[in-house]
Amino acid sequence: MKERAGYLPGISEDEVAWQTVTFTRNEEVLEVAVPVLAQEQMQQLAEQIKNNSRQVLKTLAIGEIVEILDKAVAVFLDRHSPYRRKAEQLLPIVTGYDPEVIRHGLTSFLKTFRKPQLLRFLAEDLGNISLLDDFQPRAKGGFAKAFGPDLIVHVWAGNVPALPLWSLLAGMLVKSGNIGKVASAEPLFAGWFANVLAEVEPRLAGCLAIVWWKGGDEEQERSLLGQGDVVVGYGSNTSLASLRSRIPVTTRFLPYGHKMSFGLVTKDSLDARKAWQTAHAAALDVIRYDQQGCYSPHFFYVQRGGAVSPGEFAKYLAHEMECFARRYPRRALSLEEMAAQAAWRQQEELTLFSTPTKEILGDDARAWTVVYEEGAQITPSCLNRTVKVLAVDQWEEILPQLIPYRPLLQTVGVASAPRELWQIAELLGRAGVTRITSLGKMTSPEAGWHHDGRFNLLDLINMVDIESAAEEYAERLAPYVD
Amino acid sequence: MQQQEIINAILAFISDQEGSAEVFDQLALQIFSYQYKNNLPYQSLCLQKGKTPRTVKKWQDIPAVTINAFKEVTLSCGDPRQAARVFMTSGTTQGVQGKHYHPSLAVYDQSMIHNFKRHFMKDTEKIRMGILFPTAAEMPNSSLAHYLALAVQEFGTQESHYLVDSQGANIDRFMMELAQAEHTGEPYGLLGASFSFVHLLDELARRGKQFSLPKGSRILDTGGFKNRSREIALEEFYHRLEFFLGVPRTACINMYGMTELSTQFYDEGNDILPSVKSGPHWSRTRVVNPLTGAEVPQGERGVLVHCDLANFNSVTTILTEDLGVKVAGGFLLLGRAQGAAAKGCSLAVEEFIESGRGRVK
Repeated sequence: MKERAGYLPGISEDEVAWQTVTFTRNEEVLEVAVPVLAQEQMQQLAEQIKNNSRQVLKTLAIGEIVEILDKAVAVFLDRHSPYRRKAEQLLPIVTGYDPEVIRHGLTSFLKTFRKPQLLRFLAEDLGNISLLDDFQPRAKGGFAKAFGPDLIVHVWAGNVPALPLWSLLAGMLVKSGNIGKVASAEPLFAGWFANVLAEVEPRLAGCLAIVWWKGGDEEQERSLLGQGDVVVGYGSNTSLASLRSRIPVTTRFLPYGHKMSFGLVTKDSLDARKAWQTAHAAALDVIRYDQQGCYSPHFFYVQRGGAVSPGEFAKYLAHEMECFARRYPRRALSLEEMAAQAAWRQQEELTLFSTPTKEILGDDARAWTVVYEEGAQITPSCLNRTVKVLAVDQWEEILPQLIPYRPLLQTVGVASAPRELWQIAELLGRAGVTRITSLGKMTSPEAGWHHDGRFNLLDLINMVDIESAAEEYAERLAPYVD
Repeated sequence: MQQQEIINAILAFISDQEGSAEVFDQLALQIFSYQYKNNLPYQSLCLQKGKTPRTVKKWQDIPAVTINAFKEVTLSCGDPRQAARVFMTSGTTQGVQGKHYHPSLAVYDQSMIHNFKRHFMKDTEKIRMGILFPTAAEMPNSSLAHYLALAVQEFGTQESHYLVDSQGANIDRFMMELAQAEHTGEPYGLLGASFSFVHLLDELARRGKQFSLPKGSRILDTGGFKNRSREIALEEFYHRLEFFLGVPRTACINMYGMTELSTQFYDEGNDILPSVKSGPHWSRTRVVNPLTGAEVPQGERGVLVHCDLANFNSVTTILTEDLGVKVAGGFLLLGRAQGAAAKGCSLAVEEFIESGRGRVK
C-alpha cells in the first residue's frame, strides 16, 4: 500500500521531491511518501499562509471557526467516512498498535474536539470567547481583544496517533495560520485532517500546511522557525534544546518535553470487591499505546493497610495485564526495543538477590512485566507494558521522591475516596504534577485541560488593550463633542 | 568442583585440538553448576528464570547475563578481593564501570594465545609489532591493554614498540617505525584500537604520506570508533588502511572482544564486508531474540549471545547488545542495538537519569 503524507496548499505534487518511509505490521507493508520541500518552497508556503491567515482566518468569527472544526472532526468520528476508514486501516501499520486500541483511542480523543468541547476549551482559557472577535469591555475599564499570531509553527514528535491535533486545533481557534512538521513515526494523521478541513471549508484551504523534514535538518528548521511568530515543539529535552537554539529570541517558544506519569492507589480502593476494578483500570492505562504517551503510567504507588495488600494488588494487576495481552496484543517491538526490554528486566532480576521482598511477574514471551517493590526509589519504566508497583504507607513519603523530578511530572491517575483526593491533589501539586485524573482515564485528557499545566490558547495569543485613557481622549476629539 | 579443578579442565580443553562438542557440553554444564553454586547473584537470576543445574541439560539452556549486570552486581565465584586482576569496562552508567574479576589470568592468557596464534600469527612465530594503545602499566584495568601486552610478550620481536603514550599517538615514532619496516623488508604487525588507526590515517593523509609495508605485514584493529574519533564507514576504513599502509585487506584482521568475556572473536580479513567472525572451540555464539532467548532462524537479525568457557569465574554466557546474523562458519556483526529511545512522548530512561543530576533546564 502507498499513501502520501503532508498537505501543501498551492504546491502541486510534482513540484516537490518525495521520500519514502516504510512501515510494516505483521504481513502488511505501507509506503508513506513524505514531502521534502526546497528552502524556497518552504519560504513561499510560510508567506502564503501568513497572508491567508490575515485575510481569511482573522475575518471569520470564532463561532464560524468552531462550526468548521466540528464538521471536520465529525468526518473522523464517522466510522463510514473514507478518512476514518483509512485512519483505522493505516494507523495500526504505521504505529504498530493494536487496531482496536487505535479505534477506541481515536474516538475518545476526537470526542474532545466537538463543538461543545471546543466551546468549553475556549471558555476555559478566555472566559469570554468573543475576545477573539471584538474588543470586549474590561471590569477595570478599557477594552481588550485577543489576537492570534499570523503563523504558528508546530514541530510534532512521537507515534501516538492524532496527537498533533491538540496544538493544530488550538492554533486554528486563535485564528492563526499553521505549519506543522509531522514526525516520521506517525506522518499521516495531521495531513488527513488538513485535507478534510479544506474540503469542509474551502476558504481555509490556504491557511495551514503539513510538512516534513528529516529531524535535525538545520537549514530547514532555521528557515521555517524564523518565519513563525510562535513555535510549539514536542520531543526529548535534547531535541527541544536544539530546536530552541534555532529560534529567534523574539519568537515565542512553547516546548513540550517528554513526561513521566504514574498512578496512585489508596487503601480505600483495595477491598476485595473494588481491588479488581482498580487493577483493571490501572492495566487499561498501561496497555493504551503501550505507555508511549506522556500521560501513560510508569509505576503505581499502592498504599498498605487495605484489605488487599500492595503485593496482592501487583498480582491482580498482572492478571489484568495477561488478559489484555490476549485481547489487545502489544505492538511488535524492534530488535533494539527488545534488547532494551531484556536489559531492563534483567537489571530488575539481578537486584532480587539484594532485595528479597521484590517480585517480578510476567510471562515467558514477556509481553508484559509487573515488578513489585518495597521502599524503592522511583525509576522510569522501559515502557511497552512494564510497570512497577511500589508499596507506600503514608502519602507524605512520596513527596521527597518526586521533587527531584519536578519538571518531568505530568499526570497522576488516582483511585481514592473524595476526602483524600483533595489532600493528595494538594500534595501532588506541590511536587510538580499538573494533571490529576482517575485511574483508567490517564490516556484521555478532558477537553480544556491544562497541558503540562499551561494554557493551550492563552499561551498562543497576544492581548491587545485599549486603555480607558485612550477612550477618554478620543471622546474629546469626537465630531459631536459639546 | 573446586576452582582449581575447573581451571585445569578448561586449560586441558583449550589445548585439546579436537575440542569435541560432547566435551564442550559437559564442561559447560560443569561450569554452570559451579557458577550457580558460587555466584549468588547469578543463582538468584537463574532461580527467577526457573533454571537450575537440574533443569539445564545442554549449554544452550544456560541463562545468559546482560553486560549491564557487570555494573549492577559482583559476578564472581571467588572472593573478589582476592582477584589477581580486575578488568573494567570503558562505558559507564551513571559513573559505574562494569567489573570483571579474574582470580588468575592463566585461562584468559591461554585462551588469548591459542586463538591469536591461529588467527593472527598463523605460520609466523614472531613479528615486529607496533602497538597503538597504552601499556598495561598505564591502563591496569583495561583488558585490551593486557591483551596487547600479551601479544607483544608472546609473539613480538625484541624491537616491538608502543606507539601511543599518555599524550596520544606518537606520530613521529610511528613514521620512523614504518619507514624502518619498509627499509628492512621484514614483515610488520600493527595492532591497536580502531580509533587510533583513524587518527593515524588522517595524519598520513594530511602529510600526503603513503607506505608500502613488506609482504607478510598485517594489521589488527579492535573496538570500533566509540566516539573517540570520526565515525567512518568500515569500507572506507579498510580501503584507507590498504591505501596508506600497503597492507592488503585480507591481512587486516578485526578482533571483536569485550571486557565481560575471556575469549576473542576474529575474522579472516576484511576484503568483503561485513566479515565473518568466529570463536574458538571453547566458545559458542547464538543469535537470539533477546526477549525469549530463542535462536532466530539462520539469516535473520538477532542479538548475540556468547557462551565462553574461559569465563569460569563470572558467568559463561553473556547476552550482548550487539546485533548479528548467523552465517556459515560464524556470524556477522551488525553494530550495536541502540536507538531504543521512546517512540512516543513518554520519558526515556536516559533522560530521567540526566534530570536526577539536575541537568533538565
